[in-house]
Amino acid sequence: MIRPAASGTAPALGAKPKRFRGKSFKEAMEFYVFISPWFVVFVLLGLIPLLYGLYLSFTNYAGFNMDRLKFVGFANYHKVFTDNDAMYSLGRTLLITGIMVPLSTILGFLLAVLLNQNIKNIGLYRTLFFIPSIIPVVAVGTMWRSLFVDDGVVNNALESLGLQPVDWLGYDYAMVPLLIMLLWGVGGGILIYLAGLKGVSKDLYEAAAIDGATALQRFVKITVPLVTPVLFFQFIMNIIGSLQIFVQPILLAANSNSLLSLPIRPNYVYSVHAFQQIFAYGRFGYGLALLWVLFIMILVLTVIVFSTSKLWVFYEVDQEGR
Amino acid sequence: MKRAFRSTLLSTLLVSSMIALSACGGNAQNNSASSPDSGSASPSAGASASASEGGASDGKPVVIRHTMYDTEFTSEMVAEFEKTHPNIKVELVSADYNKLMAMMAAGNGPDIIRTNTNELPGYVLKGMALDLTENFNSSSVFHTDDFYPVVNNFRYDVTSGAQGTGPLYGFPKDWSPDFTIYYNKKMFEAAGIPVPSATDAMTWKEIVELGKKLTVANGKKVSQYGLVYFNGSTAANQDLMNLQLLQQGGSMFSSDFSSADLTTPQVKDLLNFWVDAAKSGVGPSPLHQETDWGGQLFVDNKAAMIIAGYWFSGFLKTNELTKDRLADFGVAPAPMAEGGKRISPTAFGTGAVIYKNSKHPKEAWEVFEWFFGGKPAEDRAKEGYGLPGTKTLAAMLPQTTEFDKLNYDFIQNELQYTEGTLPYSPFLNYQAVNSVFEKYFTPVYFDKDTVDGAAQKMTEELNTLIAEGKDLISPE
Repeated sequence: MIRPAASGTAPALGAKPKRFRGKSFKEAMEFYVFISPWFVVFVLLGLIPLLYGLYLSFTNYAGFNMDRLKFVGFANYHKVFTDNDAMYSLGRTLLITGIMVPLSTILGFLLAVLLNQNIKNIGLYRTLFFIPSIIPVVAVGTMWRSLFVDDGVVNNALESLGLQPVDWLGYDYAMVPLLIMLLWGVGGGILIYLAGLKGVSKDLYEAAAIDGATALQRFVKITVPLVTPVLFFQFIMNIIGSLQIFVQPILLAANSNSLLSLPIRPNYVYSVHAFQQIFAYGRFGYGLALLWVLFIMILVLTVIVFSTSKLWVFYEVDQEGR
Repeated sequence: MKRAFRSTLLSTLLVSSMIALSACGGNAQNNSASSPDSGSASPSAGASASASEGGASDGKPVVIRHTMYDTEFTSEMVAEFEKTHPNIKVELVSADYNKLMAMMAAGNGPDIIRTNTNELPGYVLKGMALDLTENFNSSSVFHTDDFYPVVNNFRYDVTSGAQGTGPLYGFPKDWSPDFTIYYNKKMFEAAGIPVPSATDAMTWKEIVELGKKLTVANGKKVSQYGLVYFNGSTAANQDLMNLQLLQQGGSMFSSDFSSADLTTPQVKDLLNFWVDAAKSGVGPSPLHQETDWGGQLFVDNKAAMIIAGYWFSGFLKTNELTKDRLADFGVAPAPMAEGGKRISPTAFGTGAVIYKNSKHPKEAWEVFEWFFGGKPAEDRAKEGYGLPGTKTLAAMLPQTTEFDKLNYDFIQNELQYTEGTLPYSPFLNYQAVNSVFEKYFTPVYFDKDTVDGAAQKMTEELNTLIAEGKDLISPE
């Protein structure tokens, strides 16, 4: 913060000390006042419930024994790592993340590159590709489920081509409808990618073209490096989102008429396991421990990706020095 | 400086009004449910705004809170009641299982708690239910010799752990023998098969065989299922298993419900029975997934028979696709086990209990007595969506149309066999058992596990849950 070289008036004897009258203090006060709406809501409705949940994860809270809670220490957290279901669901979640994050980041980016052209009706195409990501997820899940049932559109299409129908929602192929459904919404990122792509100065392309660079070279040497901040952002956001995936596997379950429906085993993801433990089994403390472990994992992964970012993310404006 | 002050003031006003609005916003959303699963999840943040409890002594009306649905205890009913009982105000509180437990934990339970027959033992054990035996005995509205056996499902004996005997804690609003068979006559005619008798029960094997004959399939695609369970899955679940075990005089649990054993030959036979049924494609299952519940499949002419209760006749009478062709449908008794006792009980009879720590038990009983035994009970009987708890009211069931008469005659016969209580364990959440079944049994349909392996795993997990449940209810 820039300190004023000298303040206008000298303080009188007995007046408030300098630091409560200086411009910087007033600026600081204004800062806090302006963020107070968000901050108050965050503390009251976000931070305090989260910390309360952390406290409950060290007890045997079951929803109705609030008046006689027993402190169980790290037992719930120990259970997270010894429970077969928790580790299995974590594995499935990591698998889905490992497939989805690279695919959706790259596909989203390539889609945005294609939509960055100045051809006729480009606005219409951008809208069409963006719409899937804003449709409410329950509608999306119900729709995709009805497409993939035995007598659904997909199997009918396969049969009309002379191929065998596939049991999409059964054990062997259950992840395919899930991945397709998730990738269908990949256009959601084009908004941010387009903003990043527009930020690349056209002069660079012209200069490269004059020097004889091909379209591919221009893409790889100019576009990609200058868009890495956006790619980095999307990469992190996709990781955070993928690890928390919850509603889509439930919507593909048999009898998916409530949030308590159980997805088929290959789609049994970590958040679903936590939800089941809390709301079907009544093990609130254990469920909260599961969720806090997920939070820690996401935090660690995010820090790791951030620390590697120096190697591959290129900022035009120097990030060092304030 | 002035501008900063103005914008500060504005933002402070904005935030405080937002906070005030979100705090005062009561949750008036109701779970409208046609399916009985009580554990549907929508946890509301915190308990609802509790109304003031004016004591009767200071002249202010007493507020009685209840968790019946607003379609069951309508605002017209509330107005009617409050007219004749000016000292009582009736208030609806929407509370699913989780919210109800939160209110219990805060010592702020509603006075009248909506309770299904399979939830009653759990509520009594958690200290939520008031003993109403004396109230019923001295009531001018209820006459205990007029009760159907279903009322006994609201009795629970804490010492022996048996449901069906002991003090009376509640009363049913309406109920159905939930395992009767509604069928489509046209499909029987098309297959050249005689329709089932309306008075003699078939066995489970016979009904599944019948279903197989009525199943129309093209390879793996089934265009007409023979037999569906109302929830849309003809596969092993705790309701059907408990019924079959009850009919055979067995159970998944020990007599005091403190342990589970699904590895007995009796249970394994039933599990194998359902695996065969699912694999045969006689009904939807994880192997043949559908997007609709059983009732929708039935009205869409995609199912020949459906296992559903008397309430289904009310559904057929009002559903757009069936109300004009009711002559196509018939009803048959609930299946019975071979060599077993013919029992056709309710699985999800809905009623209520009174909160044990209610601050106004006398006024709560007034509301309870009126709603479950007075004019609302008569009106419910006349509507035909469910059976009443008393014999006198059963005479008021609809009998005007042919379809009504068919159902009325059928139910009068079936009522002889409705005594019985499905053996759900009071130490287990209904939802948890559903999850255990789905988790361990689905692989069996896909040949990823054997019945023996699944039964072993389910037994272990259920026993772990029972131990936890017992510990929570009566900690050492």
